[in-house]
Amino acid sequence: MTAVAEKDIKQWLIDSMQPEEFIEKDVKGPAGVRFEAVVPLAKVREVAAGFLSDGYFLESFTAVDFAECLELVYHFNKWDAGKRCCVKALVLKENGRPGDGSWSAPSISGIYKAANWLEREIFEFFGIVFEGHHDLKRLILPESSTIYPLLKSFKGEPKGADVTQSLKLIEEDKEGFEVTYLQTAKLTGKDYYLSMGPQHPSTHGVLRILLHLDGERVIDARPIIGYSHRHQEKMMEIQNYLACWPNFGRLDYVGAMSYNMAYALLIEKAMGVQAPPRVEAIRVLTTELNRIASHLLWMGTFLLDLGAFTPFFYCFDDREKILDILEMVTGERLTYDYFRFGGLDRDIPVEFIPAVKSFVPGFKTRLRDYDGLVTKNVIFRNRVEGVGFLSKETALAYGATGPTLRGSGIALDLRRTEPYSIYPALDFDVATETGGDVFARYKVRVKEMHESLKIVQQLIDKIPSGEIKLGKLPKNVPKGEYYSAVESARGSFGIYLVSDGGMNPYRIKLRTPSFSNLNALVDVFPGNLISDVVAILGSVDIVLPEIDR
Amino acid sequence: MEVNRGLETNPDYLHTQDASGVANFFKVEDVFNLARANSLWPLTFGLACCAIELMAGGAARFDMDRFGFGVFRPSPRQADLMIVAGTISRKMVPCIKTLYDQMPAPKYVIALGGCATAGGPFKYPGQYGILEGIDKIIPVNVYIPGCPPRPEALIAGIIELQKQIKEGRVQGAMSPASVIDSQDGRPADYKNALSRAEFRKP
Repeated sequence: MTAVAEKDIKQWLIDSMQPEEFIEKDVKGPAGVRFEAVVPLAKVREVAAGFLSDGYFLESFTAVDFAECLELVYHFNKWDAGKRCCVKALVLKENGRPGDGSWSAPSISGIYKAANWLEREIFEFFGIVFEGHHDLKRLILPESSTIYPLLKSFKGEPKGADVTQSLKLIEEDKEGFEVTYLQTAKLTGKDYYLSMGPQHPSTHGVLRILLHLDGERVIDARPIIGYSHRHQEKMMEIQNYLACWPNFGRLDYVGAMSYNMAYALLIEKAMGVQAPPRVEAIRVLTTELNRIASHLLWMGTFLLDLGAFTPFFYCFDDREKILDILEMVTGERLTYDYFRFGGLDRDIPVEFIPAVKSFVPGFKTRLRDYDGLVTKNVIFRNRVEGVGFLSKETALAYGATGPTLRGSGIALDLRRTEPYSIYPALDFDVATETGGDVFARYKVRVKEMHESLKIVQQLIDKIPSGEIKLGKLPKNVPKGEYYSAVESARGSFGIYLVSDGGMNPYRIKLRTPSFSNLNALVDVFPGNLISDVVAILGSVDIVLPEIDR
Repeated sequence: MEVNRGLETNPDYLHTQDASGVANFFKVEDVFNLARANSLWPLTFGLACCAIELMAGGAARFDMDRFGFGVFRPSPRQADLMIVAGTISRKMVPCIKTLYDQMPAPKYVIALGGCATAGGPFKYPGQYGILEGIDKIIPVNVYIPGCPPRPEALIAGIIELQKQIKEGRVQGAMSPASVIDSQDGRPADYKNALSRAEFRKP
């Protein structure tokens, strides 16, 4: 096998395989990928190694359940523009049963660290066993679960199962099933284990981190997720496309507009329609306002975690003003579902534009205040500078995106690298910092608030007039596979949709940014002091229901 | 001499009564209830979307401190009000139960939002991930509808709870929980039952 260097990755794949092993599929425009190929299952490791050596990161990895086989779908992407590649491998069913090893695939967790969690997720939802995975157990559901819910053969649990299982879990908890975590690690006299969460004011939700300590210093940190799992992907399979909107509003409730935007763009792309210009302008405007609100909430709670109480009230004060504006447009404060396919739910009210205009100058003054009070604050600087360094290699291996990645000096912003909606016509900079530490990530988010405000100012006087709805659209999506990604407040959010032409999605995979960003922290925590864990965790801005889905 | 039944009939009795020269009789427990109602310490505890509105309720503009229930405690051992804010995944149930058991008596529970009340938008036939309503595991005093409820609704809910406590209508601590205390294997509410029984001695 030749090296990948200087060769196009597709050409390299063709060269390194027998002609009959590499089956390329036709890719249409809306699929959102450069090429799509099916490779033999046994060669998956080689392929992954090739992609890694060419600088690709594993963006998304999932499985789809078909009648005769399970399809493993790898999405690789690069930090440059428009490089998303889709590689598939088939696991034949052949009367096997989920979870017992009769369906198996080679693990790539030794190559891409991001695959560690993703493979565990596929194992627990589809029952595919990954050979060579060092720690293959359930990630999101309780460990004593026996179901594989995303298989089409799973028809749901009987009525009352929720109470039965909950009582069983309480019993297990009493017997101390969590002790098994400790038994797997080597216990020496000096070591100390600390379970942080799931109820902890600084974990920003129901996250649990098992910290392995040597005195004050963290040796190993293991996030345990799944405490907020709300079966969103299964739910979307059993309801029609329109009924999925509320799910996207509740996926990441802090910055819900971006997630709505991704879904709107995905379905519009699949149907081959284009929203009117007025719709696009209002969408971008509300999304950017929502982005500012999301960053404000992050800033308030992050500084609260570090012990600064005052910014919390300042940030929430500003955030309430944005929520007022968004409420008069959408009717909701938090969990928006304002967008529709090819349009909006309703037009903006007349008082919207004056309200935004009066908000902008006041918020600019506030941003200056934050700079003086926080960014130049010596206590804050000493607390966050040089702490929690995220290297480019770690970010690549885990597929970190968003402000977390931009704090390490990579200018990956899908609004620029993979432009969508009207962003190409707008003037804004991609905020990057080279420090890679907590302070760099803080600065990136503050800069992003400035940039978002710039976009709002550009758009507010130039909202084109016109329709806010396309005519009647079909209720189903043409058969095919589609991938759409947007830059949310937390990173690149992608939706992978498999449609069989029916009224419901056949499979929806949500590629959520916080999932990868939190996973990357596994390599950032060790070596830091226990008090810095909170600062590092706060700096990546995670939202738990978006991780657990 | 006229015996005034005091707080049992009039919750604002202590505020309105002219104290000069009249002998008033009321139960000690009523005085305790008045103190409890006006000093609720909620647990800092959020599960999902509703927790953001809970935070907004405690922050600038809504400022729950105005009503005397803004002292959020991160430790269950210092709190007497649990606001269940968000979707209850089944994996989280043992944790919520443990937190409830760790709270000292008398304790009160508010179910905030559709999910904590009855499963909310995530309830469908055959669902595998959530518990449809926290009242299946622990007793609930006040339900607040909404998805998510506005901070004003939360404040209204807590004021309603205060009213119930003052009037002695809330059983809270006394109600038997259907599950066993994970700490020592006795019924979850035996500590509350004991403390209340002491008050009831003649």
